[in-house]
Amino acid sequence: MTSMETTPNNAPERGGITNILVIVLVALSVALGALWWLTQPPQEGDPAVTFSRDMSYHHQQAVEMALLLRDRTDDPELRLILIDMALTQQAQIGQMSGWLEAWGLPITGPQPPMTGQMTHGGETMTMTPEMMGIQPQSEVNKLATLPVSEAEVLFLQLMIRHHRGAILMAESTLSQTQRSPVTRLAQSIIAGQESEIALMQKLLADRGAQELP
Amino acid sequence: MSISSRRPRRGPAPGMPERRFPLTLVILSGGVIALVAILGVAIYNTTQDRAIATTAIEGVKVFPGLDRGHQDGAVAYEQTPPVGGPHNAAWLNCGIYEEPVASEYAVHSLEHGAVWVTYRPDLPAEQVELLRRQVRGNGYVVLSPYPDLPSPVVASAWGIQLSLEEAGDPRLNAFMRKYQQGPQTPELGAACTQGVGTPSQR
Repeated sequence: MTSMETTPNNAPERGGITNILVIVLVALSVALGALWWLTQPPQEGDPAVTFSRDMSYHHQQAVEMALLLRDRTDDPELRLILIDMALTQQAQIGQMSGWLEAWGLPITGPQPPMTGQMTHGGETMTMTPEMMGIQPQSEVNKLATLPVSEAEVLFLQLMIRHHRGAILMAESTLSQTQRSPVTRLAQSIIAGQESEIALMQKLLADRGAQELP
Repeated sequence: MSISSRRPRRGPAPGMPERRFPLTLVILSGGVIALVAILGVAIYNTTQDRAIATTAIEGVKVFPGLDRGHQDGAVAYEQTPPVGGPHNAAWLNCGIYEEPVASEYAVHSLEHGAVWVTYRPDLPAEQVELLRRQVRGNGYVVLSPYPDLPSPVVASAWGIQLSLEEAGDPRLNAFMRKYQQGPQTPELGAACTQGVGTPSQR
């Protein structure tokens, strides 16, 4: 600090300009850093990444179940719902795989699907595929072997559970991330599958059957 | 430790007037200019990418809170043409239709992210052709005549509507780009094929 005393008379004025320039430079660097950070793709472990993988896996089972039954049933209303589910969820799988590709991340995660943390009603807990509505493969296989009318009922029962799990997973993701393409798809899954649950409940009632607990 | 002792050129030589613009100021000013430029380009790029999605289209009306249930038979809709509400379990395949289509199917397509472009049946042939040219090749657009339309051409998406006086209005293209599977879509990813209806062209 002693060197300050030896600086010329006009130094305070120039020092003022220097200080202002330094402050502006720092502010601009911070702004640039923030912009860079905000536009960075999510990293491994980000809720957006986990969601894309978990929901893709989840959707795959729905597509499998829908196409298994569509190959068998003649009911026009059910056939329409089945193709709607299969096409919509397959398109959403493509969307989520596309994000992972663009983010430079593999489609398969370091842990098995749906084993991470989720939040539900303000609580954090560890997910299990069962909790998320994944159905045992033995039940899914029955859709190909049971008499068609029984397979229809089983499908509706299993798919209502499956949808409830997807909604839970989407809601948990919405509470964990603000990344817009992900939140938009999560909201769409909630809205779409809630209305499909109502539809399937009606179809179950038409068949004189009940929902599984 | 004294900086001035190691950097004697920092100040003017004793007895010499200060003339040279100091190096520190040159570097700092250069840095500021460079960062402003980089930041400007970065902001321009990030916002430009989203221009279509965020630019408001003049004259667009929004209808929130529409029912999404399935219903058999005819439905009385509040808007002409309808922009949402209860609809048939089947959706209308996207494409170009020569005859009016049932609203109950078309509304389901809106739910799947389709844009429905309707025109008065008495719209001059060259105007209809202009509409067809613009619609062709769009995967999520239905084009059909609609009797007693309030204006010559009306474009609708789920909960959103734009009335136009003529087919050449550039807002029609902006509407189709913004709302085909746009942010208003309740069922993102759902198809606009495999439903009902046989369009003459796509």
